[in-house]
Amino acid sequence: MSSTTLTHKPGGSSAKGTTTSRQLLHLNELGLLAAIVVLYIALSASAGGFLDTQNQLGILRDAASVGIPALGVTLVIIAGEIDISIGPAVAFASVIFAKGASEWHLGIAGALALTLVAGIAWGAFAGWLRARFAVPSFIATLGLWSALGGLALYATDALPVPLPASSFIDSLGGKFLGVPTPAVVFIVLFFVFWYLARRTAYGRSVYATGGNAAAAQLAGIPIRRIRVTLFATTGVLAALTGILLAARLGSGNGGAAAGLEFDVIAAVVIGGTALAGGRGSLIGTMLGVIFISVIANGLVLLGVNPFLQNVVRGVIIVAAVLANVIIGRRGNATRVS
Amino acid sequence: MTSAEPAPGRPAGPPVATATGLCKQYPGVRALDSVEFTIHSGEVRALLGRNGAGKSTLIRLLSGVETPDAGEVVIGGEPLGDGGVRRAAELGVATVYQELSLVPEMTVAENLFLNEWPRRGAAGIDYPRMRREAAEVLGELEVPVDPGALVGTLPLAEQQLIEIARAVRRRPRLLILDEPTSALAAEETHTVLSAVRRIADSGVAVIYVSHRLDEIRQVAGSVTVVRDGQVIDTVDVRDATTPQIVALMLGTTVQEAAALEPRTVDRTRTPLLSVRGLKLPPKLHGVDFDLYAGEVLGIGGLLGSGRSELLRAIAGFEPRAERVIEVDGARVARPTAAAMKKLGLGMTPEDRKGAGIVPMLGVGENMVMSWFGGVSRRGSISPALAERAGRDLVERLSVKTPRLSTPIVNLSGGNQQKAVIGRWLHARSRILLLDEPTRGVDVEAKQQIYRLVRELAGNGAAVVFVSGELEELPLVCDRVVTLQQGRIHREFTAPDITLDNIMAATMAVEV
Repeated sequence: MSSTTLTHKPGGSSAKGTTTSRQLLHLNELGLLAAIVVLYIALSASAGGFLDTQNQLGILRDAASVGIPALGVTLVIIAGEIDISIGPAVAFASVIFAKGASEWHLGIAGALALTLVAGIAWGAFAGWLRARFAVPSFIATLGLWSALGGLALYATDALPVPLPASSFIDSLGGKFLGVPTPAVVFIVLFFVFWYLARRTAYGRSVYATGGNAAAAQLAGIPIRRIRVTLFATTGVLAALTGILLAARLGSGNGGAAAGLEFDVIAAVVIGGTALAGGRGSLIGTMLGVIFISVIANGLVLLGVNPFLQNVVRGVIIVAAVLANVIIGRRGNATRVS
Repeated sequence: MTSAEPAPGRPAGPPVATATGLCKQYPGVRALDSVEFTIHSGEVRALLGRNGAGKSTLIRLLSGVETPDAGEVVIGGEPLGDGGVRRAAELGVATVYQELSLVPEMTVAENLFLNEWPRRGAAGIDYPRMRREAAEVLGELEVPVDPGALVGTLPLAEQQLIEIARAVRRRPRLLILDEPTSALAAEETHTVLSAVRRIADSGVAVIYVSHRLDEIRQVAGSVTVVRDGQVIDTVDVRDATTPQIVALMLGTTVQEAAALEPRTVDRTRTPLLSVRGLKLPPKLHGVDFDLYAGEVLGIGGLLGSGRSELLRAIAGFEPRAERVIEVDGARVARPTAAAMKKLGLGMTPEDRKGAGIVPMLGVGENMVMSWFGGVSRRGSISPALAERAGRDLVERLSVKTPRLSTPIVNLSGGNQQKAVIGRWLHARSRILLLDEPTRGVDVEAKQQIYRLVRELAGNGAAVVFVSGELEELPLVCDRVVTLQQGRIHREFTAPDITLDNIMAATMAVEV
């Protein structure tokens, strides 16, 4: 049992930090990277215009709307929880933002603040239900999914709410130094979350809570507070995504981002985060987000029937996760169960 | 003790199970070495031995869970061969394991017939018949439980009886009970014991694994002692004194090796921790004790005596508990977990795997997680500080690990335990509550843990050392109290801490 599973790297015997990983990428992340490279080669050969700058920037922008909430959902899943409320939360946030800026005369800044605070509030509420009353997070966020989606449509009669003209909104929906603004936000937030997960007490406590909540609690980690914070975080990220989406579309839409939660969860899980909790990485999530965004883009370019696209995506997602599980099992071969 | 009972210890009938020349090798361990074992119909045989002695392996071989490397198991005249659990069940072996395997949301009858529900028609279940037959089995064992009751609503002792009844329903020839009373409070055990006697009286051979000598004396005729993979002896329980049995279990070498160097503890000062009137029904009914800086206080008591609950209540993890706690003579107004931690109290749980380690995280991180602040600079964890802290602890505790980032689950039990203790050294705790710190740990690691605990106390910490393995208390403790029926029952200080004294005190349970 005094196993030396992880000593296969010769010369790596000097323990290299507690909180940094031994290697930059794990086996599954390398596999995912390879899969992305293969996709790029295949699509650039078969899909006309795939490598065009405009198309690549488009992929980046689409990746942002999956990726921004996926950062928070990664932490949620690492903590052994789940958040399925993302799609309707994004839609509702876009509605609040648009209404705040137009009908409610809050000004752009006011509408922005209101939307973000609202996102924190509903997320924290779901987290509180989980932490205080042990309501399974699947159920708490399912309730949120239904309620926020309903509110978004009820408040707008399913009609778009136009945003007032504003250069700030234009820049949110447009480009920053030639890169779509949402993509810039995503990349910045990626580094913030990567740091949060690796280098802060909060991030490490999230891992500990997901790995063994009882042990974490006995070690004095405030698991309730952490659970509330986790969902407040996904709430605010969904709100931010909704704002960016509204800025791009020029309006708030109660029916926007339908099904986004599935892409988000798929990206996180493809990235190697274990649904059982305790294990996962933001680098993996980043790669997972790129992976599914590239596939989605490629299928469109190839002119695949939209209904069939869903089938193909479903198969690819399951296959990717299956590959992950198999790799993960090999990596933990000597783990005492 | 049980003079009115039919003479125990004698073969009551023909042999039911015979094992000859059983050998079993695991990687690096010879778990069983040429074991001979015979049990007769109507006999209750206790199986006794320390953890890792080979009891569980013997049970696994008898019940077909594993096949021996050499030797043979014969049940009722038929060789078991490599037929596995299914064959063993056909031959009439039934095993009840320590962990309950009942479905709490189902009724007693449904549980008794789990997956063997009597059928009616194509897919229907014959509920009246199931209920009737369940009532029959329960009646035989004199278990006063309604077959229609939900298992989850029953007290633990009755759930244990249901578990046994489920095995008995299959009319086994050989019934193996693996510590059936370990989770029960002392008062609850006698119903289980009398059920076991009744089963044996009906002609079933019963193997009874337990660490509770008093129970063994009540229920078993003879006891087979296993040590280091060998059957050391089988003795009549009436003829053997407790120290004799203990000597058979322990051998001599280990205990002599680690005699305690005496040390004086100043108990005139203000105690570091003082507990008054700790109540947590149904297990604890008013526990009082003081703990002084520089001492190791042992708490002895059998499983189910409320030892773990006591520690959890002191550490603030049992909000229902009633208690007055003083640290350094000052009363703690609200002894919550956070407050107690801040006052320098740390607890390591009995269930190392379930509540101690975070399996996938590295060894280093498992230790610093009690106080990330100690390895942080300006709110961020510093890998350099974390590594230095981890290294120091690994060295101080001699944790054997390939590297700090090795997932702790890959370490041996002893090294995991040392790391879990290390967690509280990192948090600079002054009061350590260690719940079964040597459970499931090999002999060498045990010695290291004893030494570590002594050292910590020597440096001024106050340690509570809880153990169900009473034989280890004299090896580490400056003072021992025994817990019984929810209260502190006896107290022993240095020269009087002997195994005999402690055993006598914990086992003097009126049942």
